[in-house]
Amino acid sequence: MAMAGAIISLIGAVFLFLGALGVLRMPDIYNRMQAGTKATTLGSILFLLGLGLGHFHKVCICKTIILVLFIIFTNPISSHALARAAHYIGIRLTKKTVLDKLHEEDREELV
Amino acid sequence: MILTIIIVLGILMLAAAFMALYLKDLLSAIIASGAISLMASVIYIILAAPDVAMTEAAIGSGLTTIVFLYALHLVRKKQEDKHD
Amino acid sequence: MIKRFFSLIFVVLLALVFLPLVTEIKPLSELGMTSAKYAEDGAAELGAANLVTSVVVTYRGLDTLGEVTVLFITTAGIGFMLRRKTILPEKKRRASEILKSGTSFLLPLIILFGVYIFVHGHLTPGGGFQGGVVIASAIVLLMLSDINMHPDHNILNWLESLSGAFYVIMGILGLILAGGFLDNRFLPLGEFGKIFSAGAIPVIYSLIGLKVGAELVGILNKLGREDK
Repeated sequence: MAMAGAIISLIGAVFLFLGALGVLRMPDIYNRMQAGTKATTLGSILFLLGLGLGHFHKVCICKTIILVLFIIFTNPISSHALARAAHYIGIRLTKKTVLDKLHEEDREELV
Repeated sequence: MILTIIIVLGILMLAAAFMALYLKDLLSAIIASGAISLMASVIYIILAAPDVAMTEAAIGSGLTTIVFLYALHLVRKKQEDKHD
Repeated sequence: MIKRFFSLIFVVLLALVFLPLVTEIKPLSELGMTSAKYAEDGAAELGAANLVTSVVVTYRGLDTLGEVTVLFITTAGIGFMLRRKTILPEKKRRASEILKSGTSFLLPLIILFGVYIFVHGHLTPGGGFQGGVVIASAIVLLMLSDINMHPDHNILNWLESLSGAFYVIMGILGLILAGGFLDNRFLPLGEFGKIFSAGAIPVIYSLIGLKVGAELVGILNKLGREDK
């Protein structure tokens, strides 16, 4: 069981590393944010689950599952709010962008 | 090993402190000063003081940053009003 | 240039002053007299599983009262500074649907977590300050998701004052019924490690949590208020 936990943790760490790499390599802030949140969400989930499996204990695994749920709920919301705010204050998209639907909605939403 | 981690974190803290001092952009300086608290809380956890670490992470890197951001927002708005 | 030079000299002198701290002083290998007494007798005497809490709330409870007072004065100062702010309302964008529904789902969970932290302060790491900050961060989320939402000033003031007053009352009760100011032993100590144990410590820590939370929400409310 400890071995399986270690392997799952390792996979999670690889995802976290890829997320960090993506933050460095992506062209504009939105793509970076995507790398920095999607990859880190999966990475932290796997890492925490692996940790819970490695120290197999009823309380421990319950706590990690609660943590995982919390990450699943909070991470997408925060990245969504950040990306929206960045779009709102006018940070440019990369030139390769094909579609920008938020731009069309922008003008109607001012209160 | 643990000593190495603490030393690396300490150096990072120093770097973040210098960034907070010398960056021209105030927003980045605020983020840097929040990062100092985050690394300090990691050091506290390594030194087996979870209570202090929780306080530092919640107050230092969370709430203080938010208060600074609000203050920066107010100051900027005041300057814009003066220019108009 | 000369200013730079003098400040450099000052920094070097300061480094010379603090150099013995690095080279000469060795870490203590055993506890001092006070710490040894706290560490050895604390758990048996006060019944709190988390020794840090028993030091913060009971042995050094007066200092904690001072800290909370400092926070209160800060709130009052910020309120005084920002009293005459009149900023015209500007065009604001509504928070998105995702943020709103996410907030309505997450807010009770975060507040529950904060309450958990300060109610379990005598068992696990954490306590009034940490729990109060977590509750304040929940309110920040609420303020972000609804731009017209501002917590009621009067309720915050009453909550803060009442919890502060009850904190002092708990201290005086300890003075009358037990050994000294903020002594927790006037309530039954209970079973070690259970939630209803350690006498008055959970009550006092809950009061501190409410007070800190109300104060921080008050600060953020004053800073974030832009209407009028």
